[in-house]
Amino acid sequence: MSVANESQQEAHNMEHHGAGRYYLVWGALLVLTLATVLTGRMHIPHFALVLALVIASVKGTLVLLFFMHLIDHKGANRLVMAVSFLFVVLLLILPIADFATRFRPSNPAGSHLSDLPDLNFIEGKTGAHGGMGGAHGGTGQAAPGGHAAPSPSGH
Amino acid sequence: MSSSAHGAVAAPGVARLAQHFASLEVQNHAARLGMWLFLSTEILLFAGLFVCYASYRFLFPEAFAAASRHLDLTMGTVNTVVLITSSLTAALAVHYAKEGKNNLVALMFGLTIAMAGAFLVIKGFEYSHKFHEGALPGPHYRMEAVQLPGVQLYFTVYFLSTGLHAFHVIIGMSVLVWLMIKAMRERNFGPDNYVAVELGSMYWHLVDLVWIFLFPLLYLI
Repeated sequence: MSVANESQQEAHNMEHHGAGRYYLVWGALLVLTLATVLTGRMHIPHFALVLALVIASVKGTLVLLFFMHLIDHKGANRLVMAVSFLFVVLLLILPIADFATRFRPSNPAGSHLSDLPDLNFIEGKTGAHGGMGGAHGGTGQAAPGGHAAPSPSGH
Repeated sequence: MSSSAHGAVAAPGVARLAQHFASLEVQNHAARLGMWLFLSTEILLFAGLFVCYASYRFLFPEAFAAASRHLDLTMGTVNTVVLITSSLTAALAVHYAKEGKNNLVALMFGLTIAMAGAFLVIKGFEYSHKFHEGALPGPHYRMEAVQLPGVQLYFTVYFLSTGLHAFHVIIGMSVLVWLMIKAMRERNFGPDNYVAVELGSMYWHLVDLVWIFLFPLLYLI
């Protein structure tokens, strides 16, 4: 009976072992946290996000495998986690693919995929942002300066 | 001997076996699988917020980078270390539960709960600072320092995701308080009866897991 076999295997895997590996994982997680803070503060162009995600994924995998014992829980448990991550990735990719391939005017105004300015950040337009006259000029930001002039920098 | 309708009251260190399971191993296996299924739904719950984050960051990269630099990186880093260390003590509680050392189980969960409390206090200071600055979601945004299209969306995502996470911290603390009291009162955890500790600890590690992704994405753009 395969369920019983898998259960016995799992019970066997979960049998007592030293606490050493928990301390090791903890040390690794602290080192990786330091690494992500140091590299994150450098604001490395282009690779910062990828690097941060790689470090976070390594940390997450360590937590899953050792703290949550996925290394001992085999079979269906792993399948559940793998499927859930697959769906997380799909869920992330599809909306971004949508925004990236839309007709430009249908993207939110003020975004870098739109040629329209965000009306919230045009002087005198908003009550909520009352005193923003000075801040607007001072930040040197990338908001399209004026009206919906079709900017050639689009693509 | 004859006790409750539940059948045999567990002897010290022995788990209660429900009748519909063939053996304790099968029961434990089912309990773990159920926990993983539950945790996968939790992951997908947070994934919805990560999708919001990814979409808006994709649309408003400058605003997200500028807003992220207005978070307190020191407090965020301290909170990360606190949470990782609380995960260590939660894992050690499982270790001691297998050895039947109920006092140490209670101590480890006590430490975990204390660190969870510290996490929430630090988070509270960060929130009050944000309220004070006016770095608030949506139409309530009024921070002068960053005035870029999309910046309100950053703070919407920030408050929703850290708020949902803090809510999970509170639930996790309640579960661990229950397990701590169980360890102190019943003193019943042992090599054949530790799955409750294991599953409670798994929930706590999920809270840590979510924060491991939230921290670099929010604080270190």
